[in-house]
Amino acid sequence: MLAARRIRRLLRGVIALAIGLVFLLPIYITLTTSLDTPAHVFTYPPHFLLDFNWSVWVQTWKENDWLLYILNTVVIAVGTIAIAIVTTVLAAYALSFIPFRGQAVVFSLILLVLMIPSETFLIPNFVTMAKLHLVDTRLAQILPYGATAFGIFLLRQFFLSLPRDYWEAARMDGCGHLRFLWSIAVPLCRPVLFVIVLDIFIGCWNSLLWPLMVTNSPKSQPIEAALAQYLTQNSSDWQGLSAAAMFATIPMIILYIIFQRHIVRGISRGEGIRF
Amino acid sequence: MAIDSAVTAYSPGQVNRFTRVGPGKSKDLLVAALFLVPAFAFLIVFVYFPTVLAFVLAFFNYHPGGSMQWAGVSNFTEAVKDSVFQRALLNSLYYAAMMVPATLVLSMAIALLINRVAKFYSFVRVLITLPYVTPAIGTAIGWLWIYNPSFGVANTILHWFHLPPSQWMGSPKMAMPAVVIYALWHGIGFDVIILLAALSGLPKGVLEAAIVDGARGWTRFFRVTLPLISPTVFFIVVVTLIGSFQAFSQMFALSVSSGGPEYATTTALLYIYQQAFQYGQMSYGAAMAVFLVVGIFLLTMITRWIGNRVVFYQ
Repeated sequence: MLAARRIRRLLRGVIALAIGLVFLLPIYITLTTSLDTPAHVFTYPPHFLLDFNWSVWVQTWKENDWLLYILNTVVIAVGTIAIAIVTTVLAAYALSFIPFRGQAVVFSLILLVLMIPSETFLIPNFVTMAKLHLVDTRLAQILPYGATAFGIFLLRQFFLSLPRDYWEAARMDGCGHLRFLWSIAVPLCRPVLFVIVLDIFIGCWNSLLWPLMVTNSPKSQPIEAALAQYLTQNSSDWQGLSAAAMFATIPMIILYIIFQRHIVRGISRGEGIRF
Repeated sequence: MAIDSAVTAYSPGQVNRFTRVGPGKSKDLLVAALFLVPAFAFLIVFVYFPTVLAFVLAFFNYHPGGSMQWAGVSNFTEAVKDSVFQRALLNSLYYAAMMVPATLVLSMAIALLINRVAKFYSFVRVLITLPYVTPAIGTAIGWLWIYNPSFGVANTILHWFHLPPSQWMGSPKMAMPAVVIYALWHGIGFDVIILLAALSGLPKGVLEAAIVDGARGWTRFFRVTLPLISPTVFFIVVVTLIGSFQAFSQMFALSVSSGGPEYATTTALLYIYQQAFQYGQMSYGAAMAVFLVVGIFLLTMITRWIGNRVVFYQ
């Protein structure tokens, strides 16, 4: 009886592991294709072993400005994060620690943003960027995400969970809002801020539609848009494509392995928006 | 930002349960206003204003760098008559009709399976959720290779089951299902994570009581577990539904930006992108976007209406 249960449990573990590996397979196939010796690329049935032939990686890396694309992506991400964190912290604080008339209305305006599908404002935002002469710049990819309604919501939720006594006590000691925000609220909310930072970074790295619309040269293109262009131009060079795909994917894999706990927490918190 | 679109489904309910909003001091009002200005500056310029502009643009003929001319409803009538746009809307609907049930069943099956696996729990969870954070084009390249009719793994697998090979992305019939399989692989980690969170939050007492009462296996799942996590299940339905109508990267990547073969993977958003940015028809794109957005909005309302009647909120 006990043995049967143990076997069943082990079996379930093995099935789960197998499913997990199936999910890894497409990325693994991309890796093996990019590292195959040329003789192994076009074989049937497919060749599953790693050849560690790095020549395609070196060649693909050299023939395109991948470093520039990655740099663009990082600049865009860091810029967005810097602006968004300031706007988010200030707004979330105002919506939780400062009682004022009309707070509910202001908060509904934030929630309204979450209800508008982003497709609505893509074309108009392009028109705005054209008017501001910002088309094909990195700034055009930062500004539209300068305030995140999701972040404000998440952080406000956290601020509301803090005991009111903190603020009462601080005020007794003559502490103003700005001081309280900087020396007490911000240090306390660092874990939530980190979740928001990761969300923005991953979003910037993976964003495609808006960069495709608003950029048209390598000087401002982030990695995913550059890769999309590379794909449309070299759609039959499988090894080169696979190597380029790995350039775009590996940093996210590393990021995920390091921060998976935070990312998972961010996703499950995102669901808390339902109430 | 993926999560942003996920939450569009939920409207402001009871907004202020926690703060007591009393008549604040005027100094407080000033501080609050100063704190809110930065965020609202961005939201006004890049969200509220463009939302209004989207509707305005659709009534004009706008050319980048050029003029705006009044066009009346001509952009809308053109969209209604455009057979490719009709096809694109149907494609979006078809995609959603496959994505919603498939996501629900698959994510539930995976979540239930790994929820009870103590051994490799976190390792398996990492593997399944990894694709969710990887870039769409980056991973779609691997899938294009998998779908390659001559050398791909997909046909190898069909061969194992003695099924005839498929052209996958080369076949108008199989292209969209192929996109769905890719999209499931790419996005299901999100659904599995929130289902696992819901399952781990189940009240232990209720489950134990059900076991004591002799509820087993499927009965326990359908009578106890499912009603308890129904808000999460409903959340997944809404998010997947809306996400399906917003799908772009998946089709763009797997059809190498063409939306083909024979418009088979041209979804509404992909067509809007093509018209607006590849052919410079900004206003026409805006008019179609209005149709799409109003459609999404109505769909959200209907789903919410149904959800409020079906879902069991504790």
